[in-house]
Amino acid sequence: MTAGTDQERCIAHVDMDAFYASVEQRDRPELRGLPVLVGGSGDRGVVAAASYEARRFGIRSAMPATEARRRCPDALFVKPRMSHYKDVSTEIFRVFGEFTPDVEGLSLDEAFLDLTASLRLFGTASDLGIRIKERVKEETGLTASVGIGPNKLVAKIASDLDKPDGLCILFGPQISATLDPLSASVIGGIGPRTAQRLDRLGIHTVLDLRNAPDHQLERVFGRYAARMRQKASGIDDRPVCSHRPDQSISAEETFSTDIAEPAALRRKLAGLAQRVAARVRAKGLQASVVIIKVRKSDFQTFSRQRRVTPAIGDEATVYRVAVDLLSVWLTDNPGARLRLLGVGVSGLSDAAQLGLFSESSDRLGSTLDTIRDRFGQAAMGTGRSREGD
Amino acid sequence: MKLSATREAFLEPLQAVIGVVERRQTMPILANVLISAQDDGVSVTATDLEVEMVARAEISVGQSGEVTIPGRKLLDICRALKDKAKVELTVSGEKATVRSGRSRFTLATLPAGEFPVIEDINAQEQIVLTQASMHKLLEKTHFSMAHQDVRYYLNGLLLEIGKGHLRAVATDGHRLALCDVEAEGTATAGRQVIVPRKGVLELQRLVGNEGDLNLAIGNNHIRAEVGDIRFTTKLIDGRFPDYQRVIPKLGENNITADREDLRQALYRAAILSNEKYRGIRMELSGGGLRIQAHNPEQEEAEEEVEVGYDGEAMEIGFNVNYLLDALGALDGETASFQVNDPSSSCLMWDEETPGCRYVVMPMRL
Repeated sequence: MTAGTDQERCIAHVDMDAFYASVEQRDRPELRGLPVLVGGSGDRGVVAAASYEARRFGIRSAMPATEARRRCPDALFVKPRMSHYKDVSTEIFRVFGEFTPDVEGLSLDEAFLDLTASLRLFGTASDLGIRIKERVKEETGLTASVGIGPNKLVAKIASDLDKPDGLCILFGPQISATLDPLSASVIGGIGPRTAQRLDRLGIHTVLDLRNAPDHQLERVFGRYAARMRQKASGIDDRPVCSHRPDQSISAEETFSTDIAEPAALRRKLAGLAQRVAARVRAKGLQASVVIIKVRKSDFQTFSRQRRVTPAIGDEATVYRVAVDLLSVWLTDNPGARLRLLGVGVSGLSDAAQLGLFSESSDRLGSTLDTIRDRFGQAAMGTGRSREGD
Repeated sequence: MKLSATREAFLEPLQAVIGVVERRQTMPILANVLISAQDDGVSVTATDLEVEMVARAEISVGQSGEVTIPGRKLLDICRALKDKAKVELTVSGEKATVRSGRSRFTLATLPAGEFPVIEDINAQEQIVLTQASMHKLLEKTHFSMAHQDVRYYLNGLLLEIGKGHLRAVATDGHRLALCDVEAEGTATAGRQVIVPRKGVLELQRLVGNEGDLNLAIGNNHIRAEVGDIRFTTKLIDGRFPDYQRVIPKLGENNITADREDLRQALYRAAILSNEKYRGIRMELSGGGLRIQAHNPEQEEAEEEVEVGYDGEAMEIGFNVNYLLDALGALDGETASFQVNDPSSSCLMWDEETPGCRYVVMPMRL
């Protein structure tokens, strides 16, 4: 079980097991062995993480709290402590750094590690996998599942095969032998809708996908057809990027009661736009696309986006475009009651081009950021985020 | 209604106004042109509710009347007929018929009464300038207008009336172009109006280099009469930013360069700049100007240009397109620059293009 040829890379995907729930169970021994749900417990709450005990009841993350409670009335709800999870995450990433500098974080509890250069130092891929799991356990008391393969695609699939506390290593002929019988939806980029379309074409497994005729793949994937066939063969050339730039920045809020009134929704948008713009500025970026996300009371979710020129980083413009997108959506969905509203931006780039007129609004924004950093988000904002708009 | 004339007499007014007709309309009638045949002549009108263009036509009227007809179809038909062919247009009921030789076309019409026309614009200001001046004003500034900017007041051209002159200012927030030309009239000095982008581009097509141009400015419209064509556009209702504030005061460390040499060097360097951001690095020193560009593929361009410069050595980044636009708009042999520091605006001008100034903000390197 060694990484084959010289050119072959050795990539690990490390995924913490039920991360938030495991942290809570570690810190509060009375929760161990019990079905623990991290997330909002109210009628509108959503499960952010479920312990393995809770998963036995079919509870998954992103499930509404009411549904989770129906499946397991004894489940214990715990309020999320995001800043604490961030601290734990920092420790975990420090451990990753012991093995390689090439770490691409995907979230607080998930990362790709390029171990190609580390193999000679640590022995075999299997030695490395075991060692990473041990070190994470020593430092944090938490278990991780590790998948190792010649690329990110295989590593990611492998880490999920032996969860929790798993280690799965796939190289050479084992890749096809393992992947082929799996559902095609294990391949990144195939979501539930695409999976349905594939099912209708009789494409169920990774093997089916690899052997599907060109015209079928082209119909489903368009110009990505060839790329998907490669993926189904376990081929993936993407490098591990230790400094992956942000793809998008967003903020959303689930309301304690549904909101239908446009003025109230606009106030919510203002607050969200402020949070998003502050993060764009903090990273020295500017954005060229504004996105809103809307979830109706029946859980139907919509997103609308618009390109803005020039790229922006001020909340006034994020807000103005978001309000515009929302009013267009509201015209198409009159009287809709919303349970969630989100604002996001993408098309991020370095704020390199200086503006002739932008200094004052930039300066206002960064001054507000400083005040909010010191006194909290609610310390100062624009009038439109306040009641009585 | 009954009209007859040569193909060319129909074609000319249609070609003059067709640019105003949008390819996709919000109202079906906006795809049509209004043909109005009165005893004193025939006019063809096109509108997109923002810009209106009326062209007088040399067409003889057999029977007067008004009708609207699909503009592009009528234009395409006239264009496809033989040179100098005799054309007859008649309207009966809801159909219009075009006859020429052995060809016959029946077109759908919509009632003239439903066609939105801009009547009186309540002109308060009258300005007279040569067409050549107007042409210069637009040509030297239009490229700096913003395009679909969320700051809607930048998607147009500022016209500012001065004593004995008319000034145009265009900016997209990154660079700015300013041009002054002589103008007469009974206008209030200091009055500012913003002409929307499409209006500017249509007006630019309209003005030539001969004769005068009359500009009338009302509260919400500006109107220009050029020969047989009357052009009217709505104004952008908004406040243009204080452009004076961002034009640097003339200081000491000016740079002078052969305009064409510099333009060509920048043009070559631009080939290997980042396609999206168009950034180039300029290294200024007593020894000259070094221009560097590189792209994500790690390809690099380097150019050296002789310049006159006595100030401190400096490195400054620019979007190369902005510099090329400004250099292209200047006329003289020697271009002058002023840069103060790598995060302040750069002023460009030349002695042989009086009245024109360009301001470009740098890029962070």
